[in-house]
Amino acid sequence: MKRGNAMRKGVAVKTMSGEDKTRRAGRVATRRRWRTISGLAAVLPAAALVIAVQGASAEASGNGVPSKGPIVIGASLSLSGDFSADGQAFDRGYQLWEAYQNAHGGLLGHKVALDVISDASDPGQVATNYQTLITVKHVNLIFGPFSTLLTVPASKVTNRYGYAMIEGAGGGPSAFATGLRSLFDVSAPVANSLVPFAQWIASLPKSERPKTAAYPTSNDPFTEPQLPVAERILQKAGVKTVYFKVFPAEVTDYTPIADAVAASKAQIVLLGSVDVPTVSAFIHAFAQQHYDPQAFIATAGPDQGSAFVSAVGAGNTDGMMVPNAWYGGSSNQLSKAMVAAYIKKYGGTPSDINADVAEAFSVGEVTTQAVEATHSLDGSKLISYLHGNVTVQSVQGPVHFDNVGENVSATIFVFQWVHGSFVQVLPLGDPGSTKIEFPKADWGS
Amino acid sequence: MGTLVVDAVISGILTGGVYALMAAGLTLIFGVMDIINVAQGILVVLGAYLSYTLSVHLGVDLFLGLVVTVPAMFVVGVFIQWAFIRRLGERERTAMSILATYAVAIIIEGVLGLVFGVDYVQLNAWYVNQSIHLFSFYLPYIYVFGFVLAVCLLAALYVMLYRTRFGRSVRASLQDRSAARLVGIDVDRVAAVTFGIGVAVTAAGGMVFGATNSFNPNTGYDLISRLLTIVILGGLGSIGGALGAAVVMLVIEDVVAVVWSPIWAPFVFFAMLVVVLSVRPSGLFGQVAGRAQ
Amino acid sequence: MLVALAIFPLVFTNPTVTTIAVFTLLFMASATAWNGFAGYSGYIALGHAAFFGTGAYVLAIVAQRLDVPGGSLMFALVPLAGLGAAVVAVPFGLVALRTRRHTFVVITIAVFFIFQLLAFNLSITEGSSGIQVASPNWAASTYNNPYYYVALGIVVFATVISWGLRRSVLGLQLLAIRDDEDRARGLGVPVGRAKLIAFVISAVPVGMCGAVYAYFLGQIFPQFAFNPLFDLSVALMSLFGGIGTLAGPLLGALLLESLQQYFTIQFSNGDLYLVIYGALFLAVLLWLPRGILPTLGDLIRRLPKSGARGNFANAAVTTPSGNPEDGDPRAGPLAIAGRGVVGSRREH
Repeated sequence: MKRGNAMRKGVAVKTMSGEDKTRRAGRVATRRRWRTISGLAAVLPAAALVIAVQGASAEASGNGVPSKGPIVIGASLSLSGDFSADGQAFDRGYQLWEAYQNAHGGLLGHKVALDVISDASDPGQVATNYQTLITVKHVNLIFGPFSTLLTVPASKVTNRYGYAMIEGAGGGPSAFATGLRSLFDVSAPVANSLVPFAQWIASLPKSERPKTAAYPTSNDPFTEPQLPVAERILQKAGVKTVYFKVFPAEVTDYTPIADAVAASKAQIVLLGSVDVPTVSAFIHAFAQQHYDPQAFIATAGPDQGSAFVSAVGAGNTDGMMVPNAWYGGSSNQLSKAMVAAYIKKYGGTPSDINADVAEAFSVGEVTTQAVEATHSLDGSKLISYLHGNVTVQSVQGPVHFDNVGENVSATIFVFQWVHGSFVQVLPLGDPGSTKIEFPKADWGS
Repeated sequence: MGTLVVDAVISGILTGGVYALMAAGLTLIFGVMDIINVAQGILVVLGAYLSYTLSVHLGVDLFLGLVVTVPAMFVVGVFIQWAFIRRLGERERTAMSILATYAVAIIIEGVLGLVFGVDYVQLNAWYVNQSIHLFSFYLPYIYVFGFVLAVCLLAALYVMLYRTRFGRSVRASLQDRSAARLVGIDVDRVAAVTFGIGVAVTAAGGMVFGATNSFNPNTGYDLISRLLTIVILGGLGSIGGALGAAVVMLVIEDVVAVVWSPIWAPFVFFAMLVVVLSVRPSGLFGQVAGRAQ
Repeated sequence: MLVALAIFPLVFTNPTVTTIAVFTLLFMASATAWNGFAGYSGYIALGHAAFFGTGAYVLAIVAQRLDVPGGSLMFALVPLAGLGAAVVAVPFGLVALRTRRHTFVVITIAVFFIFQLLAFNLSITEGSSGIQVASPNWAASTYNNPYYYVALGIVVFATVISWGLRRSVLGLQLLAIRDDEDRARGLGVPVGRAKLIAFVISAVPVGMCGAVYAYFLGQIFPQFAFNPLFDLSVALMSLFGGIGTLAGPLLGALLLESLQQYFTIQFSNGDLYLVIYGALFLAVLLWLPRGILPTLGDLIRRLPKSGARGNFANAAVTTPSGNPEDGDPRAGPLAIAGRGVVGSRREH
């Protein structure tokens, strides 16, 4: 009530009639009443949440092998938000592996069941989700989230509980800077992804070798480390850097950047991109400016299969290159089986398959082999197994981990869109490689 | 470097047209109706998806498709205003509009995600990759068309707002709601139609945006801050100001990206914005007196 | 209430529940702090994430430079983070508070982006790779508890500030500004100074929340420390619970955060969850168009009395009152006449 008096004094204009004074007394009582009511009302959803959380506790028994019932594997994926395109592709990969594994005897004689919670591309939510999966749903095993940005907080949580965090999309140096022994990235570490391409350019005879290169890159821990590595190799081979600029992740207008690259008349372009829209913007801008580089490689985007084609336009993909450890046409036996399963479920061609699917699938395969070899679900046993002198096979090739969880056996290939098909072009001598389209066909031809 | 700067200015003007189209509806909704429409971004994406459906599934040309998408979005806008915005209390309408429009935005985002999925798409047509060759510069057709469309639509909005009786009703009911009601204006209907027009115009913005950018249901978030900024920079209630502000924003960013560095371009823009607004809070082209700022 | 909150982690020991609780408390504190400025003064600021991020980076950078190990010592940096936020709030406020209403909203957004861009581009913040914060070696089962109590402390701090503001002269000044700034200035209220002080005060708890967040996650990146969704969330929570009230933001944050987490656990499909969440939002909004507390207050006030007189009573009370026109058929002319009695309400 003092509040009311104080307010009246301060705001000189207001006056209170006698009628209002009596009403004020009544209001105090009612105010107290509804404050209690609203206080209780606030507790309700919180209580509901707690009940939901306790109630969602699953049968799974954590690290021990269940006597019966499925082995539950938990994961947090970005099904909405900034990373939704990749997150959903990853989800398809995990689901595909689950179905495949169950059709091939499951794990340790049990069926596997995936439990995926969406994190809306938010790191706080990722941490909460893994807490939920471990302490509420009592999952037996853990699969990782999408993106270096989310892997770091996630791995810190899972490490506390002794789970192995096997993931396929957290390959930026930041992920390994945590030094956690429980983190394993089954995909290739990204820092050297552009090396095969750079080495190939450097190996061309002087007459064919391009003289100038442009390096536009997005401001991201995934892309930024890659370009300087390639630049060093190319500069040594006499390829001059005529453009090297970083652009923000959310750009209002790519045209001036693309135009500046075009104006530099660089003969090859190495684009640091994390997603399809960035690559698409550059392709369209280059086409509009009638600028045709001899070679155009992007760090991510062209490896997303039909998702890439639908954004860029079927006629505009020709010649685009991208480094990756896998593609739909891989001759790897494991990959062929996975591709067949994918096409059976979703239709389309091998070129349509997003590389994220393979990364996710590999996570499943590495997990399988670790579990079957140690005959246990115990996190510490899996961790020491994977850090041992073992090489595991996956659809992306061999997997062998170093101290911090990087896959040092990964081979980076370079792929290219040629006449609507996604094919392997580097390393040159590799049996899987077909003829590289160089110089790249002009836009619109 | 000189030609690069000129090229950046040209790009800035043309892309400014695209942003002006997207912001045009917001000048009505935010600038005139005082509603902080955080759904503007997703409405642009909705317009883009509508054009996408017509183009991909029915083969209709993008510009021609506007004949359908604009009225469709008008209906959407009227519905949003009538069903939700109207219920907000007068005193806190501006603040509570954040809540209402946010809820609308995530519903639309969720629905778009369910219907179209999250893979990126882009609108395609012959004029998307082709450009006019002028002196030593290439001006992409889509941007030129978009710019022309922006000018036309903004001019139409201006005429509507300042030269028609309906426009007078709009301005009257915004200056003083109860007085307008006393004079006989159906304030609720005016509000609904105005909001509807604002959203209808956004259909055009969505189409041009979708033709110049890959998009998915998530793309809306990045846009909203930019669009609000354009409306304020242009000046509340100033229709032409929206075009001017959009062009200014894009030209500044594009030139800085070329002359200095792309990562500093938005920073320079926002810094200049802060300076301009501190000195001239009513925006570049807004009326200094006139509306209670 | 406070006792219940204090023993909460001891009763509900599940680490997931305490994790959610930590995030909820951080939002409660931030929303209360935001409301202390925006709710009382009527200036909708959509840039407070700048303080959140500043606090997060202050903690991360200082911890990095001084090699602070994971453990309880790190929490000592939290007040420092709050101070850092206050320091940046001064120039931010000086620049932004010269403008009003819509321009103010946009300026706060612009300054927020300036902060985010600086975080991306300056070398001290290590750009896009972000900064790691050392994590403590505590046992998993009680790991979250220290964070919980620190966050609770910030909530108490923010609430005390908000409560103190309401009873202070500064609070009166803010409310006068909200009602009619020009008149307030005419009456001698030092509007510029009042707004700035409130703005800076509101930055402190938000900065402290940012620091706890950074430590809790163990890593910050520029786009998450300076996250535009945070701005929107604190505004939403305050509006939902009742902007301008004391308990409104606490209630709003508690409800919204619990609701969102509940949905996340139940509906894993990202898109469906958005639709349902949004629909629920709108449904609640239709019933409580002014936010929970004010609408409940109106309803209860109106119960035994007739409409128009009930609205007169509203006019003299400090919490924001609805336009007498809303839903009351007799209110038209009475409202206009009434305005003469209780002081003019400036129409938007």
